[in-house]
Amino acid sequence: MDLTNDKIIQMYKTMKRIREFETNASTLFAEGRIPGFVHLYIGEEAVATGICAGLNDDDYITSTHRGHGHIVAKGGDTKYMMAELYGKETGYCKGKGGSMHIADATKGILGANGIVGAGHNIAVGAGLSAKYRKSGQVCACFFGDGSTNQGTFHESLNLASVWKLPVVFVCENNLYGISMHQSRHQAIQDVADRAVSYNIPGVVVDGNDIFAVYEAAVEAIARARNGQGPTLIECKTYRQKGHFEGDPANYKPSEEVLEWMSKDPIPRAVAYILDNGILNKEELERIDQEIIKEIEDAIKFAEESPLPSLESIVEDIYTDIVEEVR
Amino acid sequence: MSTIGIIANPASGKDIRRLVSHATVVDNNEKVNIVKRIILAAQGAGVEKIYIMPDTFLIGYKAKEDLIASRELNIPVEILDMDIKGSIKDTILATEIMEKLVVGCIIALGGDGTSRAVAKSITCTPLISVSTGTNNVYPELLEGTVVGMAAAAISTQTCDIGNTCRRDKRIEVYKEEVLMDIALVDCVISKQTYIGSKAIWKAEDIKKVIVSRAHPASIGFSTIVGVKMLVGQDDDFGASIDVNKGDNNLVAPIAAGTMKRIQVNEPIIHPLDEIFEMKMEYKGIMALDGERELPFKEGEIFRFKITRNGPFRVNIKSTLESAQLNGFFMRNKA
Repeated sequence: MDLTNDKIIQMYKTMKRIREFETNASTLFAEGRIPGFVHLYIGEEAVATGICAGLNDDDYITSTHRGHGHIVAKGGDTKYMMAELYGKETGYCKGKGGSMHIADATKGILGANGIVGAGHNIAVGAGLSAKYRKSGQVCACFFGDGSTNQGTFHESLNLASVWKLPVVFVCENNLYGISMHQSRHQAIQDVADRAVSYNIPGVVVDGNDIFAVYEAAVEAIARARNGQGPTLIECKTYRQKGHFEGDPANYKPSEEVLEWMSKDPIPRAVAYILDNGILNKEELERIDQEIIKEIEDAIKFAEESPLPSLESIVEDIYTDIVEEVR
Repeated sequence: MSTIGIIANPASGKDIRRLVSHATVVDNNEKVNIVKRIILAAQGAGVEKIYIMPDTFLIGYKAKEDLIASRELNIPVEILDMDIKGSIKDTILATEIMEKLVVGCIIALGGDGTSRAVAKSITCTPLISVSTGTNNVYPELLEGTVVGMAAAAISTQTCDIGNTCRRDKRIEVYKEEVLMDIALVDCVISKQTYIGSKAIWKAEDIKKVIVSRAHPASIGFSTIVGVKMLVGQDDDFGASIDVNKGDNNLVAPIAAGTMKRIQVNEPIIHPLDEIFEMKMEYKGIMALDGERELPFKEGEIFRFKITRNGPFRVNIKSTLESAQLNGFFMRNKA
């Protein structure tokens, strides 16, 4: 695998950008400046980053209710994301979607999704479209361990396998479906075991190791692009926060939290970068400061943006693509 | 009292080699089934107590509960009381505990990585390594019933252990006189710089392969030597070979279903206990028994030694033959 220093730095920046965005979202939500719900991605940054680092700009992703990380990693603009969280007119969904519906078709981001398990079949649709058009595009489908008990997961893997669609199914196994530990809702430990039922490869990787995720992503994406069909990658990771902001997460044993905090993906990447002389401490600090400034600017942009007008409330409800509603 | 210990690694057999090659898939529920067959065979052949390592998938508990529910379990099965980390440390600790309990035989279910973890702490207890991993050279593909019988023959001392068990070789890796790590089968020097998904499969990155054994019928990087010369378990030597340089072109099965053309020079034989040194001319990683483990920097000096300090391995076939000659399978009339 050819992984240049520039690529490693780019991946570090993406992880750091996600962490900074999410840390600020947490504070802003606690201060009552962000309405609705937010589900944060802190601790899982290496998954979205490693997978999206292997995708092309015109490839697709589908996301989840915990979607900020995926969107940042696929190139989403943090200004428009933050504005959407604030419910402002300048946001990705003109302030009407909020955290769980951010999409940017120009970047292949087919949308965060408030419904657990609803991204699988959208990903299969994107894969079918790419195959039908012979476009060479691939769709990475992000989802959690909890959603793999949904019918959509099984239906999607089945159809994607039968039709050999260019879809990479990425399970972010963060151990919890809301507050329920995986061991209480599944009789298996590794979601990757389910791949064999659909005759596709299933692999387990350390989801907190950016290099492990990237390696698996590169291989699975190449396989998809070559017409060899879908892959299931299970990334073992951990949701450092509660299910949603405000969830005290007292169902998580403190030893478990401490153990996973010690496996935080960002310090691990920093250690590699410093040990291998890719960047020195001053250069890393400069990158961190640039990202902090970017997110401060995004917050300022969001706060200074107007709320949607009352007149716009019925806009964008129906598409005009279909004759009957044009 | 005749006792045995079972270590089943729930993480084996799921790494990236299922994606980059055509490696075997063994799910954890099948590991539960294998453990059940081992328990039943061992019980039926005279073992009086079984210890099992606890693990994150609860393989031991599931096997025990199933056999209690089916009313087939007649001997105590104890899951070791130890904290589990979900890592290689569990296997190392469980092996230590089982040795303290003086079990007659330890059975390890997993891949080369699992066997290597057991080998880090096992001393004189006979070991049966059962393959549920990837490109296994050290563990063998064995039916659980056969494993249970052989373990029983060993633990009840109904076979000639001196002739049916053999101390295996291992590769010892030293840096500044400190033993850094071991490999049971192969140590691969790679130019890759990160551990990542651990498995190693890209021949282009390989600089050197050191083996304790080599045979074309194995799968993995040891076959780069194995397709050129044989290094048997009983041979009192190992070998090393430089890869991606030299005048010999060969094809070797470096992964399941992967035949790779490779350029090599002539292999070098290393007698047991000979120390050979390598000054690293580049930054990279050593993969031990197929897993990237030990990073190194340019200019660092490592010393290697192939010894016979490996596990005391059970030869299943000769164990059962010896047991049969000693009346192991005979019972009094009911």
